[in-house]
Amino acid sequence: MSSHSAFAAASDALAACVLGALSGTGGAVQLARYVDDAPDTLAALAAVRVLGADIFSPHLLVEHPFQMQDAAVVAKSFDAFPASQDSEEASVARRDHATAVLLARLSGDDTLRGVAPTPANDAGLADTADWSGWCVRMAQLAPLATLVLDGPVHEAARGGVLPLCRGVSRSILRRDFPTAVRLVRWLAWLRHEGVELPLDPGLAAEHVFLVGGAGPRTALDLAITRHLLERRPGTGVKAAHA
Amino acid sequence: MTTISEPVTEAARGMADRALSWLHAHRELGGLPPDTTETMADPDSVYKPLGETTLAASLILRDGVAGPGRLVAAQSLMDFTWEQFRRGDMIYERQLRHTLMTDPLEMYAPFVRCGYRHEGLDRLLAHRSRTRSVNSVEVLPNRRLAVANAARVVGLEHAEDMKALAGATWLGAMPEPWAINWITAYAMTHTVFHLTDWGGNPGGLPPELASYLHAWLPVWIEVWREVGQWDLVTELLIVGASLEDPYCRPEDWEAIAGLQHEDGFVPRDSDPVADDPRQRFTDHQHTVVVTAVAGSIALARAAGRR
Repeated sequence: MSSHSAFAAASDALAACVLGALSGTGGAVQLARYVDDAPDTLAALAAVRVLGADIFSPHLLVEHPFQMQDAAVVAKSFDAFPASQDSEEASVARRDHATAVLLARLSGDDTLRGVAPTPANDAGLADTADWSGWCVRMAQLAPLATLVLDGPVHEAARGGVLPLCRGVSRSILRRDFPTAVRLVRWLAWLRHEGVELPLDPGLAAEHVFLVGGAGPRTALDLAITRHLLERRPGTGVKAAHA
Repeated sequence: MTTISEPVTEAARGMADRALSWLHAHRELGGLPPDTTETMADPDSVYKPLGETTLAASLILRDGVAGPGRLVAAQSLMDFTWEQFRRGDMIYERQLRHTLMTDPLEMYAPFVRCGYRHEGLDRLLAHRSRTRSVNSVEVLPNRRLAVANAARVVGLEHAEDMKALAGATWLGAMPEPWAINWITAYAMTHTVFHLTDWGGNPGGLPPELASYLHAWLPVWIEVWREVGQWDLVTELLIVGASLEDPYCRPEDWEAIAGLQHEDGFVPRDSDPVADDPRQRFTDHQHTVVVTAVAGSIALARAAGRR
């Protein structure tokens, strides 16, 4: 039986693998081989589910080709750990949906969208009055801050520039660096969209990296952030609704 | 149109009234030790707190929004501290002996605001303000603003370019909001205090700095509330109340009002409070002063005094 620590270790290992592919220090991510070679298959599939949309970042950001056998592994991970149906887990549902949308897009198989349901409308997404609580939610949704995806969460980010910047500042001051990085990632996405920001996301990202260090998941968020910042604003592939 | 909500006004009234009562009731604990001369080994121990109490009382009298009984108490506090300074003689002697020191001018300003004057000190201050030496003393920019504002209140002729001074402060650089720390936060609050003359002139703060503060005050107040730095939080409330378009969130004001003891005491932080009355006074007098000032400024803004 896979333990919680085995799941966590597998997630970190996969994150390091994706990070290597993204940064050019490792080879392309081969999900099928990763799962086949894993000592604990269930933990490896759990890692695919935990990383969610981020496993596609080398394909989206540095244009690594996507293999069909990898698509099958992502679909299998949803069989092992079905998409959230719980209305109490709205962020999980949105992340699952985003993974499904990217899976369908990269594989060219639209039926794979069906691995996760479309989340219900959520008016609360656009309500930034409680900016710190809203930022916690946006940090949970950071995997959606990437190329291709666009939808209600992205619309909320466009409407919440100052709240996101406040969230970044609050997280850094509280030394909650994983949350800070996830929110900076949204700022990087906004910068890529051509949005003017009241603080410099590159400086904030570098500060968090230097003072906060980074585990594999945070390092991956940072790498994605840097890729978004380095791209010319407004460039990217056609959006898919998520 | 100044907008300060009713819950903030209610909290501010309690804060100002009760803090003033506490300062008045405990004033003897802040008295100068017998035989204190103008040369003090440790001016921060009693001399500076006495000046802070004077400042709070002077602002309550300036703002004029407290009830008649409170105004009498504020006047009584001013009389007490003026007597402590031997009706200004001690401030005069300190300035005479230490020409380049700025604290006598800063100490004197709240008295002048309320009509207390010392003829010899007026002449001495006017004289020194004409010297290049005094005007070239190297001090931190926010401290230079403090001196410039005190000179303005006292009515000295040498006028500083407040906007240029503001530009040299930490706040004037409009830095990364996540790079603030405890020390720079206090530097920032004092920059606002002096530019606005303690909330009396909100327009004294350049508009771009007011916009910057509107953006980031919510973050700073929340972060320091979370760690129970009540003295700093209350200074941040003053900053919010001193903006042309005030930033006064009821939850923040009610949090400080809720901390205040029935007798007006407010703890400086979330650490345990000493039982010894003198130690309590030493540790927390500044926070009670800040609370009185915050309440008075918010009430004046709510009443449309400025």
